[in-house]
Amino acid sequence: MAAVGGGGLPAYALRRLLLAIPVLFGVSVLVFAVLHLAPGDPAAIMLGAQATKEDVERLHRDLGLDQPLVVQYLRWMGQVVQGDLGRSIPLGRAVLPEVLLRFKATLVLTAGALAIALVLGLAAGIISAVKQYSWLDRLSMGVAVTGVSLPVFWTGIMLIIVFALQLRWFPSSGMSSPYGGSGVADVLWHLVLPAITLGTASAAALARLTRSSVLEIIRQDYVRSARAKGLAERAVIARHVLKNAINPIITVLGVQVGFLLGGAILTETVFSWPGLGSMMVRAIQARDYPLVQGGVLLIATTFVVVNLAVDLLYAIFDPRIRYD
Amino acid sequence: MTIRRVWMIALVIVAVVLASGAGAAPPKDAIVIGLLAEPVTMDPPQITDLNSARVTKRIFEGLVAQELGSYKLIPGLARSWDISKDGLTYTFNLRPNVAFHDGTPFNAEAVKFCFERQLNEQGPYYKTGTYPYVKGFLGNVQSIEVVNPLTVQIKLKAPLTPFLQYLAHQSLFVYSPDALKKHGKDMVKNPVGTGPFKLETWEPGVKVVLARNDQYWGGAPKIRQAIYVPIIEAQARLAAIKTGEIDLTIDVPPDSLESLRKDPNITVAESNSSAVWYVALNTRHPILKDKRVRQAMNLAINKDAIVRDILKGTAIVSSGPMSPVYGPFHEDKTTRYPYDPDKAKALLKDAGYPNGFEVTFFVPESGSGMQQPVEMGTVIQAQLLAVGIKAKIQTMEWGAYLKKYLDAPDMAEMSWNPSIGDPDHVTYMLLSSDRFPPAFNAGFFQNARVDELLRKGRTTVGDAERAAIYKEAQRIIADEAPWIFIDHGRQIIIHRKRVQGFKLHPNFDLVLSQVWLQ
Repeated sequence: MAAVGGGGLPAYALRRLLLAIPVLFGVSVLVFAVLHLAPGDPAAIMLGAQATKEDVERLHRDLGLDQPLVVQYLRWMGQVVQGDLGRSIPLGRAVLPEVLLRFKATLVLTAGALAIALVLGLAAGIISAVKQYSWLDRLSMGVAVTGVSLPVFWTGIMLIIVFALQLRWFPSSGMSSPYGGSGVADVLWHLVLPAITLGTASAAALARLTRSSVLEIIRQDYVRSARAKGLAERAVIARHVLKNAINPIITVLGVQVGFLLGGAILTETVFSWPGLGSMMVRAIQARDYPLVQGGVLLIATTFVVVNLAVDLLYAIFDPRIRYD
Repeated sequence: MTIRRVWMIALVIVAVVLASGAGAAPPKDAIVIGLLAEPVTMDPPQITDLNSARVTKRIFEGLVAQELGSYKLIPGLARSWDISKDGLTYTFNLRPNVAFHDGTPFNAEAVKFCFERQLNEQGPYYKTGTYPYVKGFLGNVQSIEVVNPLTVQIKLKAPLTPFLQYLAHQSLFVYSPDALKKHGKDMVKNPVGTGPFKLETWEPGVKVVLARNDQYWGGAPKIRQAIYVPIIEAQARLAAIKTGEIDLTIDVPPDSLESLRKDPNITVAESNSSAVWYVALNTRHPILKDKRVRQAMNLAINKDAIVRDILKGTAIVSSGPMSPVYGPFHEDKTTRYPYDPDKAKALLKDAGYPNGFEVTFFVPESGSGMQQPVEMGTVIQAQLLAVGIKAKIQTMEWGAYLKKYLDAPDMAEMSWNPSIGDPDHVTYMLLSSDRFPPAFNAGFFQNARVDELLRKGRTTVGDAERAAIYKEAQRIIADEAPWIFIDHGRQIIIHRKRVQGFKLHPNFDLVLSQVWLQ
């Protein structure tokens, strides 16, 4: 992660960004190949039973699908490097503004889920470690194991049935009320159930990791010294234990962001959240090649950037790490 | 920041969030409709899906329209029309003083413009879209002529009676030529028509808001706004209609219908539809080519049980391709296949397969109009096994399935919701030998008399003559059993009691012009 040549942090960041280009290129080849080699034909899906042979052929020609795959790929790449992701096949809309618009909603959901994962995960993990083998520890680790094991769609539907249908505390779907109500409070109100759904598994994973990480540090000599010099337990944990336990947690957090972006696809479908995920599911079903390719590229780029950010964060939390 | 302060802030946020939800009540003059997904496109000739059609049919109109609740054609943007004796020239007298939502006048030039945009590949606006149905619906058109501003004449290459019904399909609806010239490819999100509603806002993935067109030639609708929200998950749609978040929706889990019928705030509206659900049998398969085998397979399946237990009464048992909604064209007196495994076994023995045989059976995991394909496929498989036929199920995702379906499978599930109200659009489309794959006669059914009748039906003018033709075709088709006939899905619309005057239409449209809110 660290030990690299001269130039300091900016040069390191730049080198990492340049390295992202071959990664994204690989992603583009892979997603293009998988999509186009998978059975299914956007024209046939659009036309359904009313299709005439002439219409299928004409649509293939108009969409450029009659060309060899390599030609299709190069044509698409030619557009991509100019910042044009093409046009969605059934939607007829330009892909780039469409995926960016949807991505905003996905970021809101992911941020909400991450907040829940952080708050619940850190709290449960720290409490478990500090009160090791207490009933609190057993309870929170039990809940964590359950949380990791629950599939997102099941949690989501259960939350809808209990909190939307029975208790009527929260809306069942969407990101805002169809009428009137808009603004931050409205979005937050709609965010609660999907964020819990998506954040639960990450919270559980974080809790387990935080617990073991804190347990490791808490046994170190300098923690004992800190206690010996009379610091309050809360200060010992916050200043000495957590600060040193944080790096593995940040690493996992970076991975969790990728996990959340992936999990968002299911959560968005269950809650009809207007994000990239619910749009991608529909695009895959329709074999909407340009839209899926654009969406995957955007997600891959995000993942690369998040990973870079995580690597840079290490230096902030652990001054021993130098990018020089 | 102390921990206590963090907790205080968190509590305030939770309180604000909960309070904000409590006050939201549906407005008095706006209807909120929960769709399965948002519209794909609002450019009429590019629409291929039901969600788009359900919204855009409020914005645009065709030259002719269907009477609400049936396929009977009534005047739309054309006040009247005349068809020449040879069936080649259609003359339409257009409604005067009709304007598009952008204020430009509707006239014969607009009709010509809209049709030629998709038809003329060299035309200046051809590249503004892709037109999935142009060959099917306009391929037979020779020319479109403006006789005068309020008269347009369409000449066909050959007589084609269903053409008039095509004009009631959204792909031949009329939009503002000015709007198209202005928006080009972005017409897909900037619809400008003549209909009772116009687009107010479309937030992708969030909602579509239509506003009443106060200048509508047929009288402004009673409701001020129609708001469409996508709710993908069936349980979420159920929750939303029960709690009153939405006023009207479709496709809730069949299990929930009983509790919905008992709910004092909810009406469950039902009617037959034009849909048909069947298992196509490959009539070129060495065993399935024998009519007795296909009839035996029909007798082996307990269709009543499928409709009752799997579909929970949301369908009626089918005995042919055309559902009863085709009224005078529907033939009721056909060969029937009641559940009779003994007779099925006897027929198989007759055909030389006393111990049955093996076939592969394609089943999609889900799909447009496919009801519960896996559960239904499993029951069909078990019941075929009871008479000795081993059907090996292969399940596939819908997009892959559509391709494999046209690859000559032994037997394969399919459903069809015709968007055109002409009997031709079920029978000819699915069972004529002109429509072998890549068109949709996937079982290669070919019967000389049926072919003759279906071709004749396309060119014959006059409902009585056509009814006789289609009735004979249905009798032969039922007897030949090219499919295992399973069911015709019923339309089920769930709405809050405050929605008044709602009426179902056989092709799954959600018409709002006559609806009001209490």
